Amino acid sequence: MPGPAAEDLEDLYENAPCGYLSLGRDGRIVKSNQTLSRWLGIAPDALVGKRLRDLLSTAGQIFYETHFAPLLRMQGYFDEVALDLIRADGTPLHVLANAAERRDSEGELLFTRVTVFRATERRRYERELVDATETAQAETRLSKGLLLAEHEAAELREQFIAVLGHDLRNPLAAIDGGTNLLMREPQSEKSQRVIGLIRGSVLRMSGLIDNVMDFARGRLGGGLQLNRSLKPLLPTLAQVVGELRTSYPEREIELHLDAAAEVEADHARLAQMFSNLLANAITHGAADQPVRVDAVLRAGELELSVANAGPPIPPEAMAQLFQPFYRSNPNSRVQGLGLGLYIASQIAQAHGGRIDVTSDATETRFTFRMPQA
Amino acid sequence: MTVIVRNHVVTAGAGLKPMIFAHGFGCDQNMWRFVAPAFEADHLTVLFDHVGAGKSDLSAYDAGKYSTLEGYADDLVEIGRALGVGGGVFVGHSVSAMIGVLASLKAPEMFESLVLVGPSPRYIDAEGYHGGFTAQQIEELLASLADNHMGWSAAMAPAIMGNADRPELGEELTNSFCRTDPAIARQFARTTFTADNRADLAKVTARTLILQCSDDIIASEAVGAYVRDNIPGSEMKILQATGHCPNLSAPAEVIAAIRDFI
Repeated sequence: MPGPAAEDLEDLYENAPCGYLSLGRDGRIVKSNQTLSRWLGIAPDALVGKRLRDLLSTAGQIFYETHFAPLLRMQGYFDEVALDLIRADGTPLHVLANAAERRDSEGELLFTRVTVFRATERRRYERELVDATETAQAETRLSKGLLLAEHEAAELREQFIAVLGHDLRNPLAAIDGGTNLLMREPQSEKSQRVIGLIRGSVLRMSGLIDNVMDFARGRLGGGLQLNRSLKPLLPTLAQVVGELRTSYPEREIELHLDAAAEVEADHARLAQMFSNLLANAITHGAADQPVRVDAVLRAGELELSVANAGPPIPPEAMAQLFQPFYRSNPNSRVQGLGLGLYIASQIAQAHGGRIDVTSDATETRFTFRMPQA
Repeated sequence: MTVIVRNHVVTAGAGLKPMIFAHGFGCDQNMWRFVAPAFEADHLTVLFDHVGAGKSDLSAYDAGKYSTLEGYADDLVEIGRALGVGGGVFVGHSVSAMIGVLASLKAPEMFESLVLVGPSPRYIDAEGYHGGFTAQQIEELLASLADNHMGWSAAMAPAIMGNADRPELGEELTNSFCRTDPAIARQFARTTFTADNRADLAKVTARTLILQCSDDIIASEAVGAYVRDNIPGSEMKILQATGHCPNLSAPAEVIAAIRDFI
């Protein structure tokens, strides 16, 4: 078919790159163009007499009648309305429709013109946007939910630890009191050894409970409270060394420090920190080599280090050492909860200090430094 | 917050017998702008937006409360009480017809007459009852609301152009009419189209007029007849107007029918 030589209005109407529909005053189709018929697969004659809503699905009809029909009547037009027209073969034709009413001078409706543009790609794009938004919202809801659940679990766990700490202390105190009583009476050599072992275990367990309690308190918002005083360092360290010697009589512990050195600190906390570092060195150090403790006070700084021989700490473990519940060997039953170094570092921080580690084939050394006036 | 603000209540006129007009699913109180003014000379007219529609306070939208028509009916009763309405006339379109029925049961003194425009007590077919839609079709509608709200918002927020033919419609109106938060629209659609208030019809004691359009796919003539047969003493008038919104497409006919009745 030869095309029109020049623009002609008949052809513009029939073969425009958009669909045209005209509705009579009763809302029924009186005229439509070839383009629309091609898109729908329905001949123009077959469209005449239908209403716009007859071309929609039932759901579309309800939406049209409750929204677009009133909008058209109220405004006299609607623009960019998304409709799904149903083709002859039952498949949807996604379109955007504009409509405008034409009224006479009395305001009586004469007819309504509807222009239809194909919008398949656009609709797909919009659909994807909606999907993406919904996915994002669902993910946000999910992560918020997880966060909340995690928070609740953490709170419960810490309350549990706090309660457990208190409940463990009481029987331990009773055992401690009992062994004290026994030691004041004459005992056989064997009994004395057993009592010594029991006291060592009580001490170790008491240290573990202290750590758990501190951990729970730290996390529960109480933080570490310091009770500073200026006192000689020797008795504080010597007591810890003595306790651990009792628990590990076969291990050698060397203590090197200036006997007159005085330190301003919370000495009970300092003892706890030192006890954790020393116990750590004994547990992980080579059993046939001494653990060496050095304490130096100089240039406004206390430097306290604990060194042991033995295999070095693997580089990948270095960053984890001071994390709570970190254990080099999670299956080990002798390492406790993995709170010792964490608590030690918390105590160091509370004193405005820090703990550094060096580890090589010769020795592993934990060094605590804190400022002194 | 007062119900007046919450529901964007607008009153006009004065008279002994107040009239409350309620809009249906899809639009807002402007649905009545061609009808309500005709009664201002003899009546206090009350227009309002359901919460979630028009200029209502969206922050008052409570998905739980508005998951049944009872929630909307409670609002209507509150509005009536706030304005001291007694022995008045309720005019409700579409889903609001049933909201008015429920309100009249909650507060029988409030309305002496009910005018129900295109009412349906249940849209989904049931045994021995033809509501006009299958459950599946309603599910498709609800799904398509979710599906099409992009297109919907594109339709509702066009560049506002002057409308030479209808200068009385200001920009403000063009902006707000029919515009609904898509999530709320979906909820309201579910509440509306899954409701079943057939059992409430028999309890109505107010005089009742049913205005039934010809060729209304949302509420067919058979449904209108069902409402008439079940509300004691009610009468039904078939309008020449076609479609679901005679209050817009044939206001004169609606006004005349209401006037005859009251």
